[in-house]
Amino acid sequence: MKPITKWGLWQSRWSTAWWSLSIVAFVILIMVFYPTFKNQAADLEKTFSSMPEATLQLLGGSAGFFSPIGYLNSQVFYLTLPMLLGILAISLGSKLIAREEQDGTIETLLARPITRSRLLTGKALTGIIILLVVTLVGLAATIISVKLVSLDVSSVDILVATLSCFLLALSFGAIAFMLSSLGRARALSLGVTSAIAIGGYIISSLADTVKWLETPGKLFPFYYYRPEAILNGTYHWLDMIILAAITIVCGVVSWLAFRKRDIY
Amino acid sequence: MNKPVEAIEPVIQIKGLSKTYPGSSRPALHNLNISIKAGEVYGFLGPNGAGKSTTIRLLMNFLKPSAGTASIRGYDIVNDSLAIRRSIGYLSGDFAMYPKMTGRQFLQYMNDLRTTSDMAGAVKLAARLGADLDKRLGELSRGNRQKIGIIQAFMSNPQILILDEPTSGLDPLVQETFYALIHEAKQRGASIFMSSHILSEVQKMCDRVGIIKEGQLISEKNIAEMAAEATTTFEIEFNGQAPIDLIRGIKGVKIKSHIGNTVVIHVSGKLSALFAVLAKYDVKKLDVHSLDLEESFIHFYENKEEQ
Repeated sequence: MKPITKWGLWQSRWSTAWWSLSIVAFVILIMVFYPTFKNQAADLEKTFSSMPEATLQLLGGSAGFFSPIGYLNSQVFYLTLPMLLGILAISLGSKLIAREEQDGTIETLLARPITRSRLLTGKALTGIIILLVVTLVGLAATIISVKLVSLDVSSVDILVATLSCFLLALSFGAIAFMLSSLGRARALSLGVTSAIAIGGYIISSLADTVKWLETPGKLFPFYYYRPEAILNGTYHWLDMIILAAITIVCGVVSWLAFRKRDIY
Repeated sequence: MNKPVEAIEPVIQIKGLSKTYPGSSRPALHNLNISIKAGEVYGFLGPNGAGKSTTIRLLMNFLKPSAGTASIRGYDIVNDSLAIRRSIGYLSGDFAMYPKMTGRQFLQYMNDLRTTSDMAGAVKLAARLGADLDKRLGELSRGNRQKIGIIQAFMSNPQILILDEPTSGLDPLVQETFYALIHEAKQRGASIFMSSHILSEVQKMCDRVGIIKEGQLISEKNIAEMAAEATTTFEIEFNGQAPIDLIRGIKGVKIKSHIGNTVVIHVSGKLSALFAVLAKYDVKKLDVHSLDLEESFIHFYENKEEQ
């Protein structure tokens, strides 16, 4: 397991660096604009308040968009971080095993005295570590930029919101990993998980205003991602536990499927 | 003195092994029975799609058998695969690796996946095969990548070698080094199961040969029997008309083509009758083709079907 993770991280070192750099650039770029909006907050709030409730939900909630919490939530935690971390997680989840299988390198690995469980765990750990590194870089960039633009939001709340975002992205990665572990369908895994992520974002966002979407919304991980509640101090930890549970269930299914199936 | 191969228990024992892929009605492998002893080199021959790679993948536990069993060193290929892979060196038919790694990094990775360190052995093998370990694998030619594949299979001095088309892409000099490696492995008692398309290579290395067609083992011979049955191809150009009827009448001769004054024939068994006929005619040119195993297969299958 250790060599699989070690060499997996080594192989992904440059892409991890690029992802880290991108997340820093995105977060800083968004946050440096806050002082500009801050001075016109009252006028902008008025404009936004005339928008339909459903549209507001898609943008991250109904709280003031240009209040410190509203801006951080709508721009960073509801949009940039989940989008970037989600894409990274889905990409990792769908390629860590499937790419080895597609390229044929999985045979060379499994010809060594290593169990399929250890290979799978090693690969999963590689993905989790990469996602964690990029998340931590994103967290650091958010905290630093929040301080730089004097946004009045607690660092602890930012940490918890980032943790929640990490668990959301991890659940997407786990779904992609599970689908690619069931068979060598990398494209299917990418497509289905992306649909779950984007569909979940739309349905879960609208679930608060469109009543009949509330029940189907609960089927998507995005429903349990509530950064606004975290930043406002009204968060239910059960949501995070559900996100972690989705990841664990997908991990167990991956393990059960991968142990027994044909590799070719 | 070496213990005779016949007196030793089979190291690889395949009993009724079958595999049908999901969604396919025809088995890719049907009721395969093979046993290979310690120190024996077994050549597994057959055209593409015959079931060679399926057999190898079953032995490596990449695929699960639909029926039958197999054991390697007494360990079941499905339930005790980990124990088996501790003593196996494996080279896949289409050897894949990581293009951005250098040969040295790749071999270090493979080494890290074992409990013992075999890097010193790998470096020695690289020197013997003339492999460049410091170039990225993606920049290497097919033959040079194959050298890395051979090194990773042999680097731990395994007791079992399972090799799928191991010499593909190698130049003749490196092939000779590879034959020497096989010979050395055999000398230290390793059992080798390898697929190949090249008859001369099989003759040089293997003790026994199994021929597989459409998932079934249709023949198993030792290499001496195989050589006796082997055919040679002659391309003969005559000054004047070719004595086609006389040639056709020679025992063991099969006419492959007859265009103008040129005849291409397959000859099995003794050549004296052929040369006795040729001596009476004005032969302008005579070429002897080294036997292509594909042709040999076709010849073999034609004979089987005729029977």
